[in-house]
Amino acid sequence: MKLAKPSSLSKVEIPMAPMIDIVFQLLIFFMLNLKIVAPEGNFNINLPVSAPSNAQQDVSLPDIKVGLRSDRDGNLTQLTLGGNNLGNDNAAFNRLNAEILKIIGRPMNPLTKDIEVEIDADFECQYKYIVKAISRCTGRFDPQTQQISRYVEKIKFAPPHQPKGG
Amino acid sequence: MKTRKIEMGFTEPDMTPMIDIVFQLLTFFMIAINFENTKADERVKLPRDMLAKPPEVKPEHELVLNFGYERDKKGVRTPNQAPTVFYNEKHVEVAQLTPDLEQEKRVMEAMHGKDVVAKATVLIRADSEVPTGLVQQLIKKCQDNGFTKFSLRATSEE
Repeated sequence: MKLAKPSSLSKVEIPMAPMIDIVFQLLIFFMLNLKIVAPEGNFNINLPVSAPSNAQQDVSLPDIKVGLRSDRDGNLTQLTLGGNNLGNDNAAFNRLNAEILKIIGRPMNPLTKDIEVEIDADFECQYKYIVKAISRCTGRFDPQTQQISRYVEKIKFAPPHQPKGG
Repeated sequence: MKTRKIEMGFTEPDMTPMIDIVFQLLTFFMIAINFENTKADERVKLPRDMLAKPPEVKPEHELVLNFGYERDKKGVRTPNQAPTVFYNEKHVEVAQLTPDLEQEKRVMEAMHGKDVVAKATVLIRADSEVPTGLVQQLIKKCQDNGFTKFSLRATSEE
């Protein structure tokens, strides 16, 4: 059988121009749509509509009460754990973290499934302090190992206070 | 004097390196782009915290509530303003939010069935400076409308 020999070996040029046009269009589209945002994370808190059933709860483990007092502008004046004053600066939050660890024994302790932290904050207290307190109760970030050790997972809020002097 | 004739033949520039680079850039931007955050409102300056990690499982149904102050381009808030919920281009104070939540609930129920509200997560994107009492009132409003799962948003600190 005879095979037809390719008549010439010259290369056929693929037209590049349309492809480059489209690629540039795509590039410009993605460049304009790119938004660099800091990644956002969550603190999950489960807050079902509370039935007034505090008395019926089995109180095998007492709730941890974290209090945040503030002045009228919302600046933190006092951070408390139970009845203890921990201060009002960054170190206070670290003390809170250490105290929580003392209460739960060790990180990831199965007991912590039943422990709840109740956050009782003044009306004016700025939200960032609450997030900080929740964060210090839920765990600790170790900068050396880049690991998070989890402490307490259940957080609840105490009923809101009235604003100071309306 | 003799001048040399310039050859008029058309030489094509080599496109290959340029195309390589353009494809690299294209791939980079395609991977880096994030369409997820469309509901995030940039006026809200979230609190920062290292423990706030992006969720591993995205909730199936969610309601995002942006709660904060009107801020200028530098992030400075205009004085003497009460924090509001940015809802559909409106500024709604927490006390007046009930009709909007009811509408949101009706839409969710019409789209996904009756029991969706109990399963839906309310993502609260509250500004770091809003008074906590108002955030609690906001949560209460949502609870009154049947929402039970809440998630407080913060940016992960570097």
